[in-house]
Amino acid sequence: MRIAVLLSAGRHPVSGAPVLPRLEAQAIRLAVGLGEAHEVVGLHAGPDAAAVAEGLGQGLARIEHLTVAAEADPVPALAARLAALAPDLILAGRRGQGGPETGLVPYGLAEALDLPLIPDVIGLAPEAADRLSLDQSLGRGARRRVILGGPVLATVHPDAPAPLAYAYGRARRGAFEPVAVAPVEVSPGLAAEAGALPAIEERPYRRRPKLVKGAPAGGSAAERLKAATGEAGASAGGRLLVQPDPDEAAREILAYLRQVGVLAAPRPTDDPR
Amino acid sequence: MTRPRRDPRAERAALLVATGEGTRPRLDRTVRRDGGGRLRRDPRRERDGQRVPGVLRPRYDLSQVSRPEAGPVHEAPRTVQAPVPTVVVLDAPAFLVLVVPDAAGGRLTPHDRQVLGAARVLAGREGGVAILAPGTCEGSGPAGADRLVRLDDKGGDALGDCDPGGYDPAGRAALVAEAIAELSPRHVLFPESPDGGDLARRVAVRLRQPLFSDVEAVAAGSIARPAHGRRVEQRTAPGLLVTLAADAVAEYAGPPREAREIPVRIETLARAAPAILSATTIPADPATVPLGLASFVAAAGSGVTDLATFREVVAALHATPGASRVLCDAGLMPRSSQVGASGTVLAATCYVALGISGAPQHLQGVAGCEHVVAVNTDLHAAMIERAGLAIVQDAQAVMPALLRLLTQDAGPTRDAP
Ligand SMILES: Cc1cc2nc3c(=O)[nH]c(=O)nc-3n(C[C@H](O)[C@H](O)[C@H](O)COP(=O)(O)OP(=O)(O)OC[C@H]3O[C@@H](n4cnc5c(N)ncnc54)[C@H](O)[C@@H]3O)c2cc1C
Repeated sequence: MRIAVLLSAGRHPVSGAPVLPRLEAQAIRLAVGLGEAHEVVGLHAGPDAAAVAEGLGQGLARIEHLTVAAEADPVPALAARLAALAPDLILAGRRGQGGPETGLVPYGLAEALDLPLIPDVIGLAPEAADRLSLDQSLGRGARRRVILGGPVLATVHPDAPAPLAYAYGRARRGAFEPVAVAPVEVSPGLAAEAGALPAIEERPYRRRPKLVKGAPAGGSAAERLKAATGEAGASAGGRLLVQPDPDEAAREILAYLRQVGVLAAPRPTDDPR
Repeated sequence: MTRPRRDPRAERAALLVATGEGTRPRLDRTVRRDGGGRLRRDPRRERDGQRVPGVLRPRYDLSQVSRPEAGPVHEAPRTVQAPVPTVVVLDAPAFLVLVVPDAAGGRLTPHDRQVLGAARVLAGREGGVAILAPGTCEGSGPAGADRLVRLDDKGGDALGDCDPGGYDPAGRAALVAEAIAELSPRHVLFPESPDGGDLARRVAVRLRQPLFSDVEAVAAGSIARPAHGRRVEQRTAPGLLVTLAADAVAEYAGPPREAREIPVRIETLARAAPAILSATTIPADPATVPLGLASFVAAAGSGVTDLATFREVVAALHATPGASRVLCDAGLMPRSSQVGASGTVLAATCYVALGISGAPQHLQGVAGCEHVVAVNTDLHAAMIERAGLAIVQDAQAVMPALLRLLTQDAGPTRDAP
């Protein structure tokens, strides 16, 4: 199987220094973790590949660098190269880090290459007959196992296994290959509409006051405090049972948990299973 | 100014009352002695004298003199009007703002309500908010929707989130794109949730429209989102496709709207053979899910001495085990199970606290839990006060009872898992 991992030039969320985004390092780990038999290649489109060179130390053997101007849309160049490579699996982060951060690149690529896109993947396993099983995170630890045949584009979820440790030797051995990009004409697609976009004004980020859940709009500070400490929620003014019989207490607890919906209803006694 | 000299002896004598066999001090000292002494103040009466007659508010005149002898202000009978919820009806909206909620299981999530609130802001007075709902979607009127568009006309779950096997995000995006083309709304809002964000991006590439994602501030004419690692804020006039970050915009709080159902005709799409061969949902294993992600946590404190039974109860309840710091410090429970300020802050919907006193550091970890059950021998424990169901009883007695009941409920042929 041939796997392509899309790498972006990210910025560290705190320091702003160029780094490989963590999600993409996790994507490398997922790809490399499938074993030696699979060919894994990193792909970066951008003016400069210094940031993604870290990917070599994180487990990639080879990174292809498509030189694209900083402001240009990377999707056409990536799509052209991926069409030539024809990988069976393309892994990407959920969204860039330090750039516009809209997360549209994987979707644009999936559309351009006409591939199915599976978001939020946390695990991979090849199946028989060239099929691929992908585990998708549904939040709260639940997963969805999706089985596909044929090539697929997947984005990685932060709950995927942690990235491999950076290894200096591996980074030295890894190969960096610049790939010439044919200048792509601006297709009458996303880019055309971008001209018609309302102007975007940029200013320094301003933190906004956090919304207090459950506080009434226009309420007083005391009400907001109550809502924030959980005193005004459903559990305010709850039921109190003093020295009940333990069995009675247990029945009450189970009834409450079932009413809340965290415990399944009792199984009927004549259930065959 | 000189004060009159007090004569304690005379004051004491004045307090004596004559009884049958001599004198005793007067016990009721509220009755005023005749002559001398300062007037006893009645603050309640003074405050009443300072109120504006008729209205129940104090006078705002700061130079006012308190008139203690002013009689109680005659109280106008307060007409308590039950607020009549008048449904706002918008007959011909100038434009539509479409909301595509997650509505997992047909119910609006808090995030969906916030998106409706933002849509209401964008719609203003003339515009109407339409919700693209899978099914009836109860409560969309009070949440701010003027119109309701049902997408499930054909085959039950066209939006397909009831059936885990029917995972077809591309098909759903196609359906939503069709509905957008049909309704031609001015703006379309999605929640920036795992599903909503995915759907919005699919729709964006399908319609070849730019997407303004993760919006954190919404005003009538402009919306703003963070970018470049939260270093800058991008502000623009709202375009067609917008996704809204969670907990950024308040829910709609005005009078309920009508949520009138409008029909839309969507041609049956010629669907390509889906690439997804099968999709199965694997529920989270409560025993191994990280504490911060768990939805149901049962925790033990130092009031629990029988930890073996506690573990059995947790397994039978299908809960994730937690503990107070005391147990973790003692090495009785792993550190990863510590709930509280220096442990894990929970995001659970339900929390069961067995023998936990509810120290402030512990309660901080539970602040986000909607439902709390507490079992404690101490009626005055803070956890009992916090709980929605509080049981003052020995945890060592309640746990076996729980276990017995759960085993019984699990059926005769199967032991408690
Ligand atoms: C800086 C700092 C950080 C901290 N961070 C945390 C934290 O993150 N998490 C945390 O949990 N603690 C934390 N603590 C500790 C916290 O202050 C409390 O000491 C701790 O939470 C108390 O744990 P507990 O409720 O289990 O024990 P106790 O306070 O001893 O309470 C035991 C309770 O069990 C009841 N009980 C006794 N016997 C029974 C019985 N047979 N049946 C039923 N009930 C019974 C008692 O009535 C009592 O209410 C922190 C403290 C400090 C100073």
